[in-house]
Amino acid sequence: MTFLGRLAFNLIAWALVLVIAFPLAWMVVTALKPQSELFRRPPGFLPEAPTLDHFRRLLEETPFATYFGNSVILATATTAVVIALATLGAYSLVRFRYRGRESLAFLVLFTYLLPSVVLILPLYLMMVRLGLANTLASLVIAYTTFALPYALWLLRSFMAGVPEDLESAALVDGASRLGAFRDVILPQLVPGIISTALFTFILSWNEYLYALVLVNSDAARPLTTGVMSMLISAFNIEWSLLMAASVMMSLPLIVVFAFLQGYLTRGFGAGAVKG
Amino acid sequence: MAGVELHRLRKEFGAFVALEGLDLRVEEGEFVALLGPSGCGKTTTLRMLAGLEFPTAGEIRIGGRVVNDLPPARRDVAMVFQSYALYPHMTVAQNIAYPLKKRGVPRAERAAAVARVAELLQLTPLLDRRPRQLSGGQQQRVALGRALVRDPQVFLLDEPLSNLDAKLRAHMRAELIELHHRLGRTMIYVTHDQLEAMTMSDRIAVLSAGRLMQFDTPGAIYDRPANRFVAGFIGTPAMNLIEGRIAAGRFTGQGLDLPLAPGLPEGPAVLGVRPEHVTIGEGAQRGRVRVVEPTGHETIVIAELPGGALVTARAPARARPAIGEVLPLGLDPDGLHLFAADEEGARIDPAR
Repeated sequence: MTFLGRLAFNLIAWALVLVIAFPLAWMVVTALKPQSELFRRPPGFLPEAPTLDHFRRLLEETPFATYFGNSVILATATTAVVIALATLGAYSLVRFRYRGRESLAFLVLFTYLLPSVVLILPLYLMMVRLGLANTLASLVIAYTTFALPYALWLLRSFMAGVPEDLESAALVDGASRLGAFRDVILPQLVPGIISTALFTFILSWNEYLYALVLVNSDAARPLTTGVMSMLISAFNIEWSLLMAASVMMSLPLIVVFAFLQGYLTRGFGAGAVKG
Repeated sequence: MAGVELHRLRKEFGAFVALEGLDLRVEEGEFVALLGPSGCGKTTTLRMLAGLEFPTAGEIRIGGRVVNDLPPARRDVAMVFQSYALYPHMTVAQNIAYPLKKRGVPRAERAAAVARVAELLQLTPLLDRRPRQLSGGQQQRVALGRALVRDPQVFLLDEPLSNLDAKLRAHMRAELIELHHRLGRTMIYVTHDQLEAMTMSDRIAVLSAGRLMQFDTPGAIYDRPANRFVAGFIGTPAMNLIEGRIAAGRFTGQGLDLPLAPGLPEGPAVLGVRPEHVTIGEGAQRGRVRVVEPTGHETIVIAELPGGALVTARAPARARPAIGEVLPLGLDPDGLHLFAADEEGARIDPAR
């Protein structure tokens, strides 16, 4: 590439980064501005008197901490349930021979194609009957319904990349089926499990619709709906608090991403895994 | 240590019959090769012996005990896989120790056994490495070590040398022969490579399309192939198979006319003759030279018979017949084999 070509490439790339990163930067900056600077014209980019007051108010005067705790429990529990089921399910879909195995895999995918709006009311009624209405457990079940098919397909391609000979070798070496799965298959799947867990965690962390319909009490509300109902009313939007809340909602994801980025991108290349 | 018996062993995958009623008896301490082209059922047989596949019908006995319904762990066999199947997340030492660990051998004993096997296979300096840090030959050795560490009743080897380069393969072949000699264990070895089967085994079971073609010593299989398949499969270059008929004590076909031993049934037949029993430049038959391939220690000559069939001959290293030349051609009467012309192609021997 010539110097000019490289320059143009870099300019375009950085312009894109700027466009994409600007709203995020604006979110952080707004969260740090005192109320008086928020609607000043012309707007200034950097806060003149940065303050953490919004964060303090959020944590002390609102149920934000409860919502945050709910979201953590919800996303973690959903991820744990989904990973446990999807790992065993993927193992079955890849390793066992039975009638309708392929159709089953596609059937699972088709359930994912149903618009979630269609499922909300039946799910809600089911939860009421089960006595789970307004609980975190109802949301864990609901999230599992849409996260599991996806996770199953993702893990299935990872599982297909684990050579069958490895398992056979473990069986001949004296392991039981479950022992071979634990000693030999599972360690090969770690990258796949981590990236699938990340996807699932992000899906549950950001879910809004089910949380809105299925949960109607502050004790079980996750961040997405909690922040909305708390800060956005018909008359007023608490912009500074909203931005502070957004920063704190994104933070865990950003931290997790930073640490596990390598695994996440590997998830997109699943199937290209070499045994 | 024990022998292995297969009785009318049959395996179907859906409508596909992988193995149709195999009978085989491997003696204690014997090295037997299962030889055949891909898809002949040899690997399926081995996997059934290991307990990784279950037979549709028939019986498998190891050391006199019927093992049909036993899971692999309880059959007391060890297997070396074509892909080696080393556990990538374990070190060499952990790989070798795994079978012992699964059988509840105490840690100290495990370490001693691993050290002993590592010594035997010259793996001691590599014990802390992971499989991906090893060369193909070293990985192969680790796979062997994992099988050897346990002293099982039977060793099963599934094309263990096929992923090695030619030189290393010859070397490992010699090591395996020596190992079998030293251990005296029953070994069943699957291969599609006739050279491996011929050089290593006490006996060879030749399989084709799920059926046993012949089960005998390498010498007997080479000298007296039981049918046309074995005749064509064993030996390089392959045995010449010429269609014709037997009449009045002579074989005629493709322009050949040969006297035969008395007592052969008349009718259509296939004549088999190995390239080393065909001489170019002298003899009662004639052939036109088509291809000359000098290999250094000999020259392979392919000649066309008057009837159009091609005949391969081994000629001396310096022989250089001109292409297109019509030369006399001789077939050694002691090197002639006759097979039925039907699909089975069974060997025809003179009635005594």
